[in-house]
Amino acid sequence: MLAEMEPPKGVDISVMMENASRVKGEIDAFVVPEMSNAVMRMSALGGALLLQKNGMDTVMQVCCRDRNRLALQADLLAAGASGVKHIMVVTGEDPGFGDHHQAKAVYDLTLLELLDAIEKMENGHDMSGIDLCGSPQFLVGSTVNAGLSAQALESELSEMNQKIKSGVDFFITPPLFDIASIKPFLSCVDLSKTPIIPTVLLLKSLGMARYMARNVKHVHIPDELVRRIQNAPDKARECVNIAAETVHAIKEHGFSGVCISTIGWEDKVPDILKNIS
Amino acid sequence: MIVADKKPIEEIIESVKEFKKILILGCNECVTVCEAGGKKEVGILASALRMFFLNQGKDVKIDEQTLERQCDHEYLEEIRDVVDQYEAILSLACGVGVQFTAEKYHSTPILPGVNTCFLGATEQRGLWTERCQACGSCILAFTGGICPVSRCAKRLLNGPCGGSSKGKCEISKDVDCAWQLIIDRLKALGKLDEYEKVQPIKNWSTDRAGGPRRVVREDVAL
Repeated sequence: MLAEMEPPKGVDISVMMENASRVKGEIDAFVVPEMSNAVMRMSALGGALLLQKNGMDTVMQVCCRDRNRLALQADLLAAGASGVKHIMVVTGEDPGFGDHHQAKAVYDLTLLELLDAIEKMENGHDMSGIDLCGSPQFLVGSTVNAGLSAQALESELSEMNQKIKSGVDFFITPPLFDIASIKPFLSCVDLSKTPIIPTVLLLKSLGMARYMARNVKHVHIPDELVRRIQNAPDKARECVNIAAETVHAIKEHGFSGVCISTIGWEDKVPDILKNIS
Repeated sequence: MIVADKKPIEEIIESVKEFKKILILGCNECVTVCEAGGKKEVGILASALRMFFLNQGKDVKIDEQTLERQCDHEYLEEIRDVVDQYEAILSLACGVGVQFTAEKYHSTPILPGVNTCFLGATEQRGLWTERCQACGSCILAFTGGICPVSRCAKRLLNGPCGGSSKGKCEISKDVDCAWQLIIDRLKALGKLDEYEKVQPIKNWSTDRAGGPRRVVREDVAL
């Protein structure tokens, strides 16, 4: 059981630490995003170290957008030396999506090149082949878009296999609301061999559900789910119930785990956990 | 102009060795000025390839043509009637020309024969140096007409880094310190007060960082 834990936009870590502490025993590790959607906030390394220091395991995101190969390797050494055992590599959204539109993106390494660098470091060398004084060891995750079909799914699966060859041990999917919607993906993947961890996103409102249903490609939100929120007297409560039910369904289906994402509503994680039947 | 450099002949041979009919397509603009892809270079490369294939005992047809530009529809139309005669076109234009030709002729492989390097000037015969990175937001008015984005190794916008020595950049004794040049020029212009003005943090969204760019001009559109 994973839960996303966004580091703060500032140095006040009290809310993040309180939210994390409330579910400490029930969450195996907190996924710490690296400035998701290109919105500037505390780095994943900083957030992960703070959580680790307080006895909470983390999956630290490593992002190609903001750091060149020197900085990526340097941060991986810092993470490895500080007890971070799980990382998740991501390409990162363009700065145009975030709150610093004028920033220059880096993208020195592609995702596969970063994976190659991680493998080299685990084998005791940096990207230039120079020996490391002690090598880090990580369980490495990445993303896979399970919502695709037809030709797009074929290329996603080929990329997934490439990532596995490059050392990826587990995959986290984009938000999943309806297991039936990823049938094409599931028919091509052996869940007992490839660890797949779907994301369960907490919808925050009817508007968010409608917006995602209409505008977010490859994420299927069934109409009845939107109607259910629409008809509920307490919509926020209903959204928590839906998230809990989705977690339950995913657990029953034989996935390797589930990652709860609440994008800013981390205080709702205990409610979701409490409602999982 | 766009400055390009010749690709190593071994790399070119590797890319065309399977084809039996090849058109080498030059460009009369920038690559002619920088002597990498004009009519003369098309002829030299064609001779080299003919010799290579002759030595290999292969019968390969190699034709030569040079267009006025490869980045304009009208000039690219000139080869429409002959394109199908070739299994591949080796374009000696810059990357723009190679892509524009490929976009126009979908079923023919268009291969690059030069490496496109930078926007620069001819300092002397055989020496081209970078002057512009097309950042999309020109600041030359404040820097004495010398661009720190393209000529300072660290792209600093508010004075030198402190690593230069005797007017040369810390990365190489052959590279001028752009900020030394800027200060000297501002002094000569009597505008050293410009140097005191602090430039704001650069907006890189107009640079390549903001994704592929385009210029839309409704006033000249047909």
